[in-house]
Amino acid sequence: MNEKQSLMTRIIVWFDPRWRSISFWGFIVNRITGLGLTLYLFMHLTMLGNLARGQEAYDGFIHFAHNPIFLVGEVLVVSAGIIHALNGIRIGLNSFGIGLRYQKVLYIGLTALAGIICLYFAYRMFTA
Amino acid sequence: MSKPSVIIIGAGFTGVATAYDLALRGFEVMVVERGEIASGTSGRTHGLLHSGGRYAVKDQESAIECIDENMILRKIAPQIIEPSGGLFVGLNDKDLAYAKPFVEGCLACHIPTEELTPAEALRLEPNLNPKLLVAYTVPDGTFDPIRLALAFAASARKYGAKFHTYTEVEQFIVDGQANVTGVKYWDRTNNVRGEYNADIVVNATGAWVGQMVEKVGAKVPILPTPGVMVAFGQRLAQRAINRLDVPGDGDIVLPQRRMMVVGTTSFEVSDLDYVPVIEEQIQEMLKRGSELLPGIAKAKQRGAYMATRPLIGSGNMGRSVARTFKCFDHKESDGIGGLVTITGGKATTLRQMAEKTADVVCQKLGINATCATKDLALVSYRDYYRQH
Amino acid sequence: MSEKWTVTFQVFRKKGGEAAHYDDFKIEVDPNEYVLDGVERVWAFHDRTVVFRHACHHSTCGACGMRVNGVEKLTCITPIRDVTSNGGVVKVEPLRNFPVVSDLAVDMGKFYTQMDDVGHNSVNSDFKEAIQSEFRPAGPESDKQEFMRLSDCIECGLCISACPVSASSPDYLGPAVLAGAQQHGIHGDEHLLRLVDCEDGVWRCHSAFECTAVCPSFVDPGWRIMDLRKQVVGERIKRLFGGSSNKNEAEVAK
Repeated sequence: MNEKQSLMTRIIVWFDPRWRSISFWGFIVNRITGLGLTLYLFMHLTMLGNLARGQEAYDGFIHFAHNPIFLVGEVLVVSAGIIHALNGIRIGLNSFGIGLRYQKVLYIGLTALAGIICLYFAYRMFTA
Repeated sequence: MSKPSVIIIGAGFTGVATAYDLALRGFEVMVVERGEIASGTSGRTHGLLHSGGRYAVKDQESAIECIDENMILRKIAPQIIEPSGGLFVGLNDKDLAYAKPFVEGCLACHIPTEELTPAEALRLEPNLNPKLLVAYTVPDGTFDPIRLALAFAASARKYGAKFHTYTEVEQFIVDGQANVTGVKYWDRTNNVRGEYNADIVVNATGAWVGQMVEKVGAKVPILPTPGVMVAFGQRLAQRAINRLDVPGDGDIVLPQRRMMVVGTTSFEVSDLDYVPVIEEQIQEMLKRGSELLPGIAKAKQRGAYMATRPLIGSGNMGRSVARTFKCFDHKESDGIGGLVTITGGKATTLRQMAEKTADVVCQKLGINATCATKDLALVSYRDYYRQH
Repeated sequence: MSEKWTVTFQVFRKKGGEAAHYDDFKIEVDPNEYVLDGVERVWAFHDRTVVFRHACHHSTCGACGMRVNGVEKLTCITPIRDVTSNGGVVKVEPLRNFPVVSDLAVDMGKFYTQMDDVGHNSVNSDFKEAIQSEFRPAGPESDKQEFMRLSDCIECGLCISACPVSASSPDYLGPAVLAGAQQHGIHGDEHLLRLVDCEDGVWRCHSAFECTAVCPSFVDPGWRIMDLRKQVVGERIKRLFGGSSNKNEAEVAK
């Protein structure tokens, strides 16, 4: 174990998909969606904090949030949530030795399912 | 009184076993190896723990050495041996004619063997050629090449031996009276050069012994003889499968983990440091292997490589300690003191080679110490890498 | 007649305290030869200072593990034609997550010691197969027979090199060691239980499954780590209800 490597180098190894197998993508995807959801949580709480500042502050923010970029953001967040949850089910099962034989198949299947749900959500989001 | 010191050049089977024996006898041992443990010929053995059946007809002295050492190794190193046994399989009339001398030979060499009918043999090994005519059981086995060496090296380290790997001996240090007193080394890991001194130097470089002693103008009748090994990715038998015939090419098929290894051939070469694989020889192994186990023809090739055996050439030089290995005291053969060469032999007899070499070393230095390696179990091979 | 390719071997070099760099060697090879043969040629004919580990040349010793074009491989069974084409480059680097001794050789000390500590049996008779079908050897039924046999794990370290968690957590036991513990089995062994049931033991795995993907020897460490978790949880539950034969509990209690 190479302690001399910097912390940065060691963490980057977690996200470098080059030359890695498809199962590794499952690993990366859960880390990225997890970080994304955490970031969203902070933003969401900050936004809700606006409530404490009274009606106008909150309304002002809601008006600002009708910007299409927020819709894209919403789709991303919900997608991240769905992917993270479904992939997470696979990881949770695997962690206790269940479904290991089909680990790869499960990953591909659940990701495809997540993809379908996300597309449907995006469709509803942008055509409402 | 300080301990007598020895430098052993080469950490193949001969080197590590000799290091262990001498360390047990109270020597200060230093092993200098230009590669990793067993990275020369030793590592490349297919791993057959010989029962001696192969030599029982034409070379009974070797056969007895093999069966004796086979039993000893099973006792002292079970950590790296698959004790599953072996078969000698006869496929045609020529093979059948060999059966009688084979059985008599085994009897004469106390190698336990039992005749099997084809049906019995196929029950034990369903993948054998169904047209086999007869089979004989023998107590062959499979060992792990590098781990056998590591086990001896780890045991040597336990008794104080020091190992300097990736360190190449560039020249001998010779004093005014034509005695070798040490070696000039080159540490390849950091490009540092220096000297090591000792009371005696043992040249255990296997096929390279001739090249090594040339550095002091000495000679050794070594005939480096490479042969091919081909590994196939399916474990088609649980036991070593030998051809019931006089020793020849491609007549051993050995299970090694989830593979079968077929060997070998025999030819001469001048450059020892890299011997490229010859495609025709791979095909020969495929052909001969599938005669014994037809599944080999369909199995995927996993690896192929050349291994250079240290065969002793003819000539009356050297003290004959046994037919297959020889110890050369260079004081007698070349007038150079403090240098001894040990070469030849086969993996199965490594402990005995070391015993005989250590005897010569002790004799030369006037030291009274006997071998203690026969009954002592080797330490865990992993201890070689443990920080002491 | 054998084909001849011209391939550039880009070899990682590091001597002593010097900075690491790469040396290029343009060599002629037979594409059916193995990457290890190429490295050996570089040493034999071009640069005698190159340091690398090798022994058996047939995937049973585990010494020749290296990163080839970024992927962990056992170089003695990796044909050159599998990693490059005529005129291409083969980048050869030492394994990750091990201290580099020199050039392509790494220090296996801590790893081997840990394999001993978990009691992995180098010769054993239980032949649990790799669970994931793509990593199982295509063998006949006789493959599954019970014989005292050399363990699948050849202690090559490829799995540790490929594991992202081993990269970021130096104290993590790593896939090979945990797989070795699984092979040995907890069986109420208090010492082994303590060793693996901890932060840097069986719980630090994040299911990347890179270990199983690169293992050249059908060990499937990913599955074994999860199975070890089952063993650990089972053992803990048994203890909760006062059961289990504790082999060395008396010693530990002292």
